[in-house]
Amino acid sequence: MAKPTVASDWLAGCAGCHMSFLDIDERIAKLVELVDLRATPITDLKEPDEEGVTVGILEGGINNTFNEHVAKQMRARCKILVALGDCAVFGGVPAMRNFFTLEESLKRAYVDTPSTDESGKIPSSPELAKSTLVRSVHEIVKVDVFVPGCPPDADIIFYVLSELAQGRMPKLENNNLMWN
Amino acid sequence: MVKITIDGKTTEVERGTTVLNAARKLGIEIPTLCDHPELTPYGGCRLCLVDVEGAKTLQTSCTLPVSNDMVVHTDTQKIHDARKFILSMIFSERNHFCPYCQVSGGDCDLQNSAYAEDMTHWPIMPNWQPYPVDASHPFIILDHNRCILCRLCVRACGELVGNFTLGVEESGAESTLVADLGLPLGESSCVGCGTCVQVCPTGSIIDRWSAYQGKETEVDTTKTICRGCSIGCGIDVLTRDNRLVRIEGDWDAEINGGVLCEVGRFHPMVEERERLLTPMIRTNGKLKATSWDGAISATAEKIISSKGKFSGVASTRLSMEALNEFKAICDAFDADSIATTEGCAAISAIFDLAESSDKAFESKIDEIKDADCYLIIGEDTTKDHQVVSFFAKRQIPAGAKLIQISDCPTGIDNFANESLTIDKKSQSKLINAIGNLIARKSVDVEKIAKTFKLNVSSLKNVMRIMSSANKVAVIFGSRCEFDDATAVLESIISLNTLLNGKLITTKGNINSVGASMLGINNIATTDNSEVVLMALGDEELPQSFSRKFEKIPFSIIFSSYISPLTANADIVLPVQNWLEQGGHFINADGQILEAKAALEAPETVISNEESLLKLAAVLNIKKQQGWEEFVKKAPTPVTIN
Repeated sequence: MAKPTVASDWLAGCAGCHMSFLDIDERIAKLVELVDLRATPITDLKEPDEEGVTVGILEGGINNTFNEHVAKQMRARCKILVALGDCAVFGGVPAMRNFFTLEESLKRAYVDTPSTDESGKIPSSPELAKSTLVRSVHEIVKVDVFVPGCPPDADIIFYVLSELAQGRMPKLENNNLMWN
Repeated sequence: MVKITIDGKTTEVERGTTVLNAARKLGIEIPTLCDHPELTPYGGCRLCLVDVEGAKTLQTSCTLPVSNDMVVHTDTQKIHDARKFILSMIFSERNHFCPYCQVSGGDCDLQNSAYAEDMTHWPIMPNWQPYPVDASHPFIILDHNRCILCRLCVRACGELVGNFTLGVEESGAESTLVADLGLPLGESSCVGCGTCVQVCPTGSIIDRWSAYQGKETEVDTTKTICRGCSIGCGIDVLTRDNRLVRIEGDWDAEINGGVLCEVGRFHPMVEERERLLTPMIRTNGKLKATSWDGAISATAEKIISSKGKFSGVASTRLSMEALNEFKAICDAFDADSIATTEGCAAISAIFDLAESSDKAFESKIDEIKDADCYLIIGEDTTKDHQVVSFFAKRQIPAGAKLIQISDCPTGIDNFANESLTIDKKSQSKLINAIGNLIARKSVDVEKIAKTFKLNVSSLKNVMRIMSSANKVAVIFGSRCEFDDATAVLESIISLNTLLNGKLITTKGNINSVGASMLGINNIATTDNSEVVLMALGDEELPQSFSRKFEKIPFSIIFSSYISPLTANADIVLPVQNWLEQGGHFINADGQILEAKAALEAPETVISNEESLLKLAAVLNIKKQQGWEEFVKKAPTPVTIN
């Protein structure tokens, strides 16, 4: 039987969950014995295979139209979708901006920061994705496994991936369940 | 007794017991966010739902009294689904993002409840409605975004503190916690006792000095007593790496039952005075650092050479052990006088009277907790000995009446049914006149009102309240200057006897009673002494006190902090502060309380007891009888236990 395939991507997050994934250290060697690691933001292949993967992993919340596209594509191309980290699960730190209007947040980021001079302006190129409210992944697509944590501990990530690699659904409970 | 079966376990409980408490008795845990053993059940969070056989819907176990042969289930799928749904609803209402919250990671009941139900995410996402953050208070931050409207704080503020500052305005999703009628907390009637902080199950009410300093799992907790006043409230001191993190009220402490005042809970957090870290001797006009041995032998020499022309002043914040040692030194060298740091005659009047009466004339503080009429005389008990005022104020909803007699407006005025303002000189006369009215020795209320320039209807109302009361508590706030404290005290005692009431006096500091029992209760005076030996603790003494000693040729001061007194002293000996030393204390209630050290002192700083023992050793003073012996023999206004 072919090894299960895994693809991941990051959305409105800080890459910290992928860093925490790398913190599984030498256990990554064990993991690649079990799974075929395909597209990730930290490898050459950036998009999940068109023919699909077994497990898709998304880090970060969804804060613009491009994130929406990535989430929908990942959902379409994977059997099991994992929301990794507090941002993917709840919206996380980026969702703090939901308590303000989009205009306020953009103005704060591009115009009002102390290091910005009078030339600061809100980018408006039509090529850019349109910003939206920050949403958790499960508000856009169906999520099969929620792995909260900011970031989730490397041990928890290893547990989730090794369970999925061996065809079992991981169950997050007791010490493996941590939101912060 | 009624019988109940919960999850297959059967027990019998008192009629009126809630299902929640019956479950606790059986060791069955039911989650709740709005229940507290010290507060009236409220049924607000709905998390404690249980399935009662025969009932159509799930019931809140915190408000449901057990009825006979009740069969209850707490661990079914239906209940877990309901709990998850309730938690989802709570999370969706406001900003409950954990990563940027003070209590996340163990100290949050909401987060812990979600973990207990294996919730990996929020099925219903929040609606992103921002709420204000009220940071107007010097000690407390109120973040409405984290509030789950459990009303624990509202109930604690009313039921335990009797302050009724917190309430809820609007209804449904608009419900918001408010102080008074919508004032910022810092401008409201809040007394800063922080009980709301202690009961808040989420990060909605936090104390700004301990926020982000360490979770409960990361701190060490020392059970000890507060030494802020004479009450000696039980406290938990939370420390981390020998740093004070927070002080909480000890729910199991008999005297205060968990509540504390601002002085006990928050003031130690903002201690900014400079510590004394090394012994010093004045040489060529300047204080110069020296060794402990050097400072102690210089002290001993000075005491010996003073040939009895020395006086002792001790702090009533020191332990029995330290005070006993201090007294031994003063006695051995025939000190002119042994006085305390307190400038108040009422305390010695109380003890003088105790000596002449054959039994204790005061009641225990516990006995005044259920009175229906409180007569408060003397100091402002909302500022000094505050917890005593909580006991009176919190009985108001049960119908208790408050009467105050004072020479100036106080914080009690807002709660009192009648406040009689009268200058101190006339207080004993007025109290005697009221006594005469009660005893029907006189009936002319109008005349008495006229004599004391009081409103006739007020005085009539006072008489009405007193004569219709079933249980009167008389609280004498005795840290107060009177021209004739004995006369005031005697008038109070005879009025109390007439009313068949329960009298308590607040006295002064944590060990004022103990000091008095050792015979240390004179007011410090500047006499002909050439040397003063002053055993202070960590108190901040008023300027009027420091000025008294400016003319004394030579002063030796044990103290924790630099002060005008130590700046003028000739020998300065650094001692530990209250958090660093333990010992025994006798509070206003006559309870012998043991305090424990919660922090380690800097290396060069030793305890009051140890420093006085060093001095006694150099002076060759033989071991005196223990303080316990004095306590057995000394007359007291209140029973010692």
